[in-house]
Amino acid sequence: MGSLDKLYLLKIALLAIFNALAVWSAIILFVQRNYPFLAVVVIGIIILNYVYLSAKRYAAKYIVPGTIFMVLLVVFPLFYTAYISFTNYGTGHILDKQQAINRIEAQYYRPEDPREFDFKAFKDEDMEDLKLLFIDQEDESLFLGIAGEIESVSRDDDRLIDSTGDGEIDEINGYQRLERGDIIQNVAVIEQMRFTYNDSQMRMRDLNSFALYRPSYEYDEERDVIVDLRTEEEYKPIEGRFTNEEGEYLSPGFRTFIGRENYQELITDPRVSRPFLRVFVWTFQWALLSVFTTFSLGLFMAILLNDKTLKLAKFYRVVLILPYAIPAFISVLIWRGMFNPTVGVINRILTSIGLSAVPWMHSTFWTRVALVLVNLWLGFPYMMLLALGALQSISGNLYEAATIDGASRWQQFRHITLPLVLVALGPLLIASFAFNFNNFNIIYLFNEGRPAIAGAQTPAGGTDILISYTYRLSFESGRGSDFGLAAAVTMVIFFITAVVTWFNFKFTGALEEVKENE
Amino acid sequence: MKKFVALFIALAFVFGLTAPALASTPGELLIWADDNRIEVLNELVDDFEEEFGVEVTLVEKNFGDILDDLAVEAPAGEGPDIFIGAHDWLGELIENGLVEPLDVPDIFYDDFEEVALDAFTYREDVYGVPYTLESVALIYNEDLVSEPPETFDEFAAIVREISAEDDKYGFTLPQPDPYHTYPYMTALGGYVFHYDEEEGVYDPTDIGLNNEGAVRGLEMLNDLYADGSVPYVDFDTMEGLMTTGDLAMTVGGPWLQPAMDDAGINYNIAPIPTMEGEKPQPFVGVHGFMISSFSENRVLAQALLTEMVATEETMYEIYEAEPRPPVHLGAAERVADDEIIQGFLESGAEGRPMPDIPEMAGVWAAWEDAISLIFTQEQDVQPAMDDAVEQIREAIE
Repeated sequence: MGSLDKLYLLKIALLAIFNALAVWSAIILFVQRNYPFLAVVVIGIIILNYVYLSAKRYAAKYIVPGTIFMVLLVVFPLFYTAYISFTNYGTGHILDKQQAINRIEAQYYRPEDPREFDFKAFKDEDMEDLKLLFIDQEDESLFLGIAGEIESVSRDDDRLIDSTGDGEIDEINGYQRLERGDIIQNVAVIEQMRFTYNDSQMRMRDLNSFALYRPSYEYDEERDVIVDLRTEEEYKPIEGRFTNEEGEYLSPGFRTFIGRENYQELITDPRVSRPFLRVFVWTFQWALLSVFTTFSLGLFMAILLNDKTLKLAKFYRVVLILPYAIPAFISVLIWRGMFNPTVGVINRILTSIGLSAVPWMHSTFWTRVALVLVNLWLGFPYMMLLALGALQSISGNLYEAATIDGASRWQQFRHITLPLVLVALGPLLIASFAFNFNNFNIIYLFNEGRPAIAGAQTPAGGTDILISYTYRLSFESGRGSDFGLAAAVTMVIFFITAVVTWFNFKFTGALEEVKENE
Repeated sequence: MKKFVALFIALAFVFGLTAPALASTPGELLIWADDNRIEVLNELVDDFEEEFGVEVTLVEKNFGDILDDLAVEAPAGEGPDIFIGAHDWLGELIENGLVEPLDVPDIFYDDFEEVALDAFTYREDVYGVPYTLESVALIYNEDLVSEPPETFDEFAAIVREISAEDDKYGFTLPQPDPYHTYPYMTALGGYVFHYDEEEGVYDPTDIGLNNEGAVRGLEMLNDLYADGSVPYVDFDTMEGLMTTGDLAMTVGGPWLQPAMDDAGINYNIAPIPTMEGEKPQPFVGVHGFMISSFSENRVLAQALLTEMVATEETMYEIYEAEPRPPVHLGAAERVADDEIIQGFLESGAEGRPMPDIPEMAGVWAAWEDAISLIFTQEQDVQPAMDDAVEQIREAIE
């Protein structure tokens, strides 16, 4: 009983620390105005406390942590992506509206009379209040700056005291002059100080001087417009940018909700719609070919390795798994070099045995062939490993019975091995399909989606798949990065893969029924 | 119980991610820099802390990550005061509201190479303290080329002669790469965007990649690809050929030096040969220190840059940490006996800053496609460049 109590106390203590952490994070998230995450944290912590403090809910104690992680790491990003896809988040639109207004209002210009002043700072004994003495750099006239107001003073004003007699003023009304080091310590305060001088604003320029500035823009909160103070022109917020009547806009713009515009762009923008069908068909071909070739070779190798009469089976197994052990990032780049049409080793071998050089990388067809070959090399060991496992689980009795019935080896393979392996590996083949459907790495590393297509109106290359082409569209074209568009495309691809996966599951579900009926 | 402890640790970790990271705080400076600059800054920071009594924190970032990280972290209040970057980020940084112009006396700029300042100027403001420029020149293997060619005709003759030998190549460029190909397009009058001198910005509606000069230059170069004298290879292959001594000439920058030094290649650099008497102008990329517009310490950050970073000593140390052409005139003087660095510096001074407007993002892909089609002989120069310009127009609209 005693040890149980101790355990219970420990549990309470951990939960308490954990709650403290959660409250702390919640405060930070609140300050950062990150409300979606804040909601997740608050709801999560309430559920967690309820589950662990309640006497029952044993099952929940195991499921809840996993669920929370799933929400945090899977569901949340998905919803966030969906949310971004309805905004204009991207280059020029990364600040929120208030931040953008602050930035625009912080833009100054120098007036026609760009006076500059050296300054001395004076502080009272309690080190709380500051007075500034300005010396005009041109005519050396003096000004006193106190509490936002500026006042012209003469050198023999009573308030200015030169106690050491070195010609420098050391004291104003009992305020002592600050040395450079002290000015630096107070720079954050001095930097915020503003004085009005001839309609201009005087503010700190650097550690030694103040200068005159005029704000370029002012935000009119009531009418939600920004006014150019020099020309009186008005800028209205249109699609995340303060824009005037001529269509000129101020930088920076801001992030805003733009509804279905990103999705609309996918349909109406000819840069998307023109190459879409071609890219889409190749994406499908690519994913299907990848799965088919790697699975076929993997299964073939597995059957060979599974043959008990094979000598050195272990050695072969290690050698065949090697491609899987080398990071794809490196091997794809090596293959890229080997496939180089002019200096690559593959064409050199081809020409040295009297064949003609193949335009790998330059012709769409041959680049596709090369890609499938490289992917085959990268992907078959994985399939081989899986198939080896599946083969071991097939009972030898089936083959014995088949042999007695007079089935050929091909018939055995066709009617026993293949269906049973497919049942076991079906879901993994679907996963492989979905993976290759979005296999950005190999496409991009091998030839950046190229070759380019002569006469094309859009920069979609011959081997670009959906994901690599949209990467180009969203990040390598236009005016920088367009996260909103990228998110919209991500959602579309998500739905395409979801539908494909669903159909595949129905298909393999049918396979499983076959198995049960047997 | 074990499960609960594991869960506790895991969740604590997740919450740890939401903890406030280092951020710009009034009275303290936060600097983002890449690994090569950070060594130098480390020493500098001690001096600055001593002299100014201000705490400085350095965070090491990959150079290429800084632009993206800044866009995420600065608006969230977690960005730096000072960061390192390339001048051609400016358009995007300004459009995103992330960078603050410098506000210093004009005399400060007298210490710097003009092209470097031009690069960091956007409209009327200067946005960065430059420390190096990046540019390309003709790099040649002295064992294969005794005297570097001065004109394109001499160059073509040498290339054809060397390429006629077995397994030797006279010249190649990394392809498809507009950056390295650009000098051949500029010599006779090509350009990306027309630079409006008055406004101090590029005009994205005036694209000169398919004008007569650009096309003529590409055709001259393409003749060498067409007759097989120049192989069409990517960067890695080009570097490989150079380091094995099989490649006589290439166009490249200081980044090729370490590999060639390691391989013991006897190389030198020269200006890219003139075309019909005109000088090719490469792209110039300038790197420098910039101040975040989310900095709470504009004055302090500027003081650190002007008083500690923009000095001959610091700029020389930056050069020593990674030998790249310094653009501080004093530091450049001190490396006057490094012929290679001087060569790149001269080539840069002749070059053109890479356009820094955000529209540049829409240029590369189409341009790359066009030159890949040209040099693999799939399409003629004029139609290929016309298509590219059409694609660019559509992309940046």
